[in-house]
Formats: sequence, C-alpha cells, structure tokens
Amino acid sequence: MATKKTTAAQAGTVLLRFENVWKIYKMGEVEAPALKNITVKILKGDFVAIIGASGSGKSTMMNLIGCLDTPTKGKIFLKNQDISSLSESDLASLRGRTIGFIFQQYNLIPSITTFDNVLFPLEFLEYDDEEAQKRTRDILLKVGLGDKMYNRPTQLSGGQQQRVSIARSLVTNPEIILADEPTGALDSVTGREVLEMLHKLWKEEGKTIVMVTHDLNLAKYAHTTIELKDGEIQRISTND
Amino acid sequence: MKLRKCLKHAFEMVLHSKIRSWLTILGIVIGVASVIAIMSISSGMQTVVSNQMGNLGGDILTLSAGASRGGNMFGPGGDRGGSGGASATNKTPELTRTDVQALKSLPDLKLIDTEIRGTVTISYLGKSGKVSLTGVDPAVWSKITTLTIAQGRMLDSADQNVVVIEGGLANNYFGKPVGINQMITISGSAFRVVGIVDDTGNGIYMPINMAYQEITDKTTGVYDSIVIKVKDESQLDATINKTTAKLIAVRHVTAKKPDFSLTSSKQMQATRSAMMSTMNNFLLAIAAVSLIVGAVGVANTMFTSVLEKTKEIGIMKAIGARNKDVLSIFLMNSALIGLVGGIIGIMFGIVLSGLLPVLMGETGMLRGGTLVSLNSVFLAIGVSVVIGILAGAIPAYRASKLKPVDALRYE
Ligand SMILES: Nc1ncnc2c1ncn2[C@@H]1O[C@H](COP(=O)(O)OP(=O)(O)OP(=O)(O)O)[C@@H](O)[C@H]1O
Ligand SMILES: [Mg+2]
Repeated sequence: MATKKTTAAQAGTVLLRFENVWKIYKMGEVEAPALKNITVKILKGDFVAIIGASGSGKSTMMNLIGCLDTPTKGKIFLKNQDISSLSESDLASLRGRTIGFIFQQYNLIPSITTFDNVLFPLEFLEYDDEEAQKRTRDILLKVGLGDKMYNRPTQLSGGQQQRVSIARSLVTNPEIILADEPTGALDSVTGREVLEMLHKLWKEEGKTIVMVTHDLNLAKYAHTTIELKDGEIQRISTND
Repeated sequence: MKLRKCLKHAFEMVLHSKIRSWLTILGIVIGVASVIAIMSISSGMQTVVSNQMGNLGGDILTLSAGASRGGNMFGPGGDRGGSGGASATNKTPELTRTDVQALKSLPDLKLIDTEIRGTVTISYLGKSGKVSLTGVDPAVWSKITTLTIAQGRMLDSADQNVVVIEGGLANNYFGKPVGINQMITISGSAFRVVGIVDDTGNGIYMPINMAYQEITDKTTGVYDSIVIKVKDESQLDATINKTTAKLIAVRHVTAKKPDFSLTSSKQMQATRSAMMSTMNNFLLAIAAVSLIVGAVGVANTMFTSVLEKTKEIGIMKAIGARNKDVLSIFLMNSALIGLVGGIIGIMFGIVLSGLLPVLMGETGMLRGGTLVSLNSVFLAIGVSVVIGILAGAIPAYRASKLKPVDALRYE
C-alpha cells in the first residue's frame, strides 16, 4: 500500500476505498469476473497508475472508481461515503463535483464549441453564469487553447481535443482526476505533453490523479503503480 | 441543471438536428396546418350563417308539407335557390290554396308568400345549362326575401314573362354577362331579365303562375313551401302556436301527427349550427388523425435521436448530469420540435385558409371567406407542444435511465 512521506501535505487521507469488490459480467449463462475481490485504497494527493495487460480489468476498475458503474459485490467508499447508499442524483452531483474524467477518445460533444464543452459540467452544478464563464475562460487559457474557444471539437487536432477534455475535467476543480488511457490516441510527443500536464496538476495543485495506461514509460510519471492481472491486483509499487 | 440551461441545450439539439428531425417537424406542420385551415373555414362558415340569420331576423316562418325534416342547409324559403324542395306526389301531403286561405285569416301574420321550386333548362346566346328556378308570389316576394337587388328591380305583382336572376348566373354562367332587359330562354319560352340580385348563386326567380308552366311536374295550386312574415316578432312563439293550431284544424290532422312543418328562422339556425358543428367535428377528427400521425413521427425520431446520442448521454452523466437533467433536455427537445412544427404549421395553415376559398371556388360554404382566430392559433401551439412532450416522454425517460458506463461504451 502506498505510504507517502514526502509528496503532499494531505498524505495519508483516504479518498477512495474498495472493499472486496467484485465485478462480474454475465453473458447469458456464463459469468465472467472482470475484477476479483479487490481491496485497495487511494490516498488523497496521490498519482496512481493502473497498469496491466489488455483485458486485465483496468477500465472496469476505472469505471467503478468514477462511480460510472456499480460493483457486483463489495463496497466502494468515496470520501468515506458508501456510494451504494447514495441516490442517483446525489451520486451524479458528487461525481460532478469530485471527479474529473479524461477519456482516451476525448468524448467531447461534437455539436457545441470548445467553450461550451468546458462550461457544460458547471451548468450541471448550477454555477452562476458569470462565474462559470470566467472559470471556463481561465481554464482554457491555462491549457493553451485561448484561441480555440469558439471552434468545434472537430476543428481541433487530437492533442488539442485532449487538452479540451483536460480543461473540462478541471473546470469544476475536482479533487480527483481519472484518465483512462489519456494518451492512447495521441502520438508519443503529444502524449508526453499531456502526461507532463497531469504531473504538474499533481505536483503543483495537489490533485489526486488515477490514470490507466499500458505504456510503462508513462507509468513512471506516477507515484503509485497498481498492476492488475486477470482481475486481481498483482502488485502495488511506489516510487519515492 | 437549471431549466434555462436545459432549454438552451435542447434548442441546440434541434438546431443541429439532421434532416430526419425536420421531416418529423413536417409531420406536425401538416397536422397543425390542416387543423388551422379547418378551424378557419368553420369560423368563416359560422360568420356566413350568422350574417344570413341577422338579415332574416326572427320574424320569418317557413311552412312545408310533410312531417318535420329539420331545417335545410340552404336557408328558409329557398332563397339560396337550392334543390331541396320536395317534389310532392299525390300521396304525400301537400300545401294548397286552402292552407293559404287559413293562414290569411290569422291576424298575426303579415305576409304570405307561396313558392315552388324545380330545375329548368336555360339558354342564352346559344349556351345552355340546368339551373334551379323558384316560383314566388310576385306581389309579396320582394317584401319577404333577404336578397338585395344589385341591378334593375324585384318582381312586381303585374309581372308576367320576366325573371330576376342571381349574380352568379348574370356574371359568370354563360361566357358573357347577362344584362338587364336581355332575354333568356327557359324551356323554350323567352323571359326578360328585370333584376339581378346581389348573390353569387345561379338561381332564377319568376312569378309562380309562370313557374307552373316551366316546372312540368308541379300542379297549379300546390306549393312547395309557404314563407310567412309575422306581425310581431316578440310574439313569435305564440304566433307559431296559433298558426300550428289553425293548420291542424284545416288539414284535419292531430297535433301528434302533423303532416306539415312550420319552422322559424331561429329553429333553422339551431338546426344548421348543429349540422355545422357535426361537420366541423368530423373534419377536425380527420385533422386530428394527421396530428397523431405527426406525433408518432416525433416519437420515432426521439427514439432514434436517443440512440444516436447515447454516447453523449454517457458523457453528460460522467460530467455530473443527473437523470432528471437528461430527462429535461430530451423532453424539451421534443417539446421544441412540437413548437417549431406548430409555428410553421400555423403559418402554412393561415396561407392555406387564405387559398382554400380560391382553390375550391366560391361555394356556398366558403362564401364568407375564412377566419383564423387567435384562439385556434394558441390552441394549435399548445396542442403541438403537448404532442411533442407526450411523444418524447418514453424515449426521454429511457435516455435518462441509461447507466453511464453502458452509454459511454455505445458507439
Ligand atoms: N460490458 C462488458 N460485458 C462483458 N464483459 C466485459 C464488459 N466490459 C469488459 N468486459 C470484460 O471484462 C474484462 C476486463 O475488461 P476491461 O475493459 O476492464 O479491460 P482493460 O484492462 O481495460 O483492457 P484494455 O487494456 O484492452 O482496455 C475483459 O475480459 C472484458 O472482456
Ligand atoms: Mg480499457
């Protein structure tokens, strides 16, 4: 388990906890366990990389961490709240406030502008208009897209789109950022840029970052590495 | 999410929607346009009827033979020159001179006009056709009819071989207009036109004694109807009762089984409105069916749209959308489709109701033109929005219930 001494001031606070979590996909009569009895803690202010072979259950675990999916068995605690005890709408609000998602395929909404894409999460949290627009503008400037605010996602390069999606994940100022193969669709140079960005968020702003990757070079950016194999945790390592 | 924001996103969805959505909107457009057109025609018809009734006043009674058949669409006294007159055979009850004598003995009645009706062949400048002819009492008719003279004069008690014709016959029927003092031929005999009445119909009026010769199946002294003007309109009901009693006595029938019907213009109006509302309801039902078809189209589009947007729904949920946010956005989207369809439909409907009288010709029913009321506009908008919401309800609900992870995985 990650025992951090130096990194963040909040080290030691548990942000997210899995307790004997199983995820079993049922396909007709056949049951296929994707996660088997996972118990793990993610500390506030940690940078976690989840690695493992294809099909080892990385995305499944990520979806559970992000409260996008529910476990078949076991319990998940986010900020000490059992998420299965929350109503749908409370869970959605918690997700909106606490978690920012970065997807491999960016997952931007194609029909609206960069600006509106980044603004979107704030609208669900019912921010007031002025505040929301200021935040959106600031964050877009921060990721270097000041000149692309009113373009549609299709008019941007892959790297730019991923920066939009990073901006969208940051705009609500979440405690935890989840990135499932954030560089998967990018070339190595752009991919590294994205990683540097995440690293900076962790280092300088104390965000908790959980990233799925199968690129061991990128995993080196992380502080803690969780290795999955066939739905089980093979190893957890920290580099200090 | 605030409703205002939901509305904004719903609006963006409509703006960026594919041709399919616009086709869906077309379904609503057609439905709403036909409802508006039908409602406007019916209010136009209502205006015509109330105008006619206004002219008539409540002081006219129409007596016809046979038990009550209700009113007839073409007005009391056959002023519209309709072919509604019963062609009496010997077995059926008749109106005769006896009845007229009886009526004349009643002090409450002011004027009595005897009429017969039939169809005759008319020719002018080598062209001919069949039109309806009304034989009237030339001394009384001009004082009792609602028609107004446009050129020339009404019939006079001394008139013999003369006719008064309606405007439609005068102006449009034979390639060339028929003028005052010109001769027209009716079943071989020549008649001089002395008057043209302000009306678009094709009817002819002539003294009843001449009409007996032209309408071959009528017996002299037998009338199709007797039009009566009462002295005091405020005593209408009492007058009707007295007149009925008198007729029962002279015709040797019982009050329970009268062989005649005496209708006032008021009753006629009631009958006519009843008939019109039946017809309106029928037409509206047809229009409603087309609206329902439009609604099914909206539902279909919404289902497809939800499928198409599954991934976006997943994204929205990942970034904090609650089920009810997704529900509101999709419901408002379909409500907007309904609204846009409704508004375009109303515009088409207004154009259509303006064109209809032109397209269909100035037939009796559209004579008064059409009238698009503000009520029908609001009703149409309301109905189309409600239809949009109803049609979108199930797809929107399904969209809102999607599990984020499943929605995100959808390609
Ligand atoms: N919706 C699903 N229905 C059925 N089985 C699934 C579903 N999603 C994942 N699985 C199965 O669960 C296992 C873990 O899948 P998961 O997507 O978590 O792998 P992964 O580690 O993310 O792989 P990759 O590196 O290829 O993305 C796989 O065997 C996969 O086939
Ligand atoms: Mg994966």
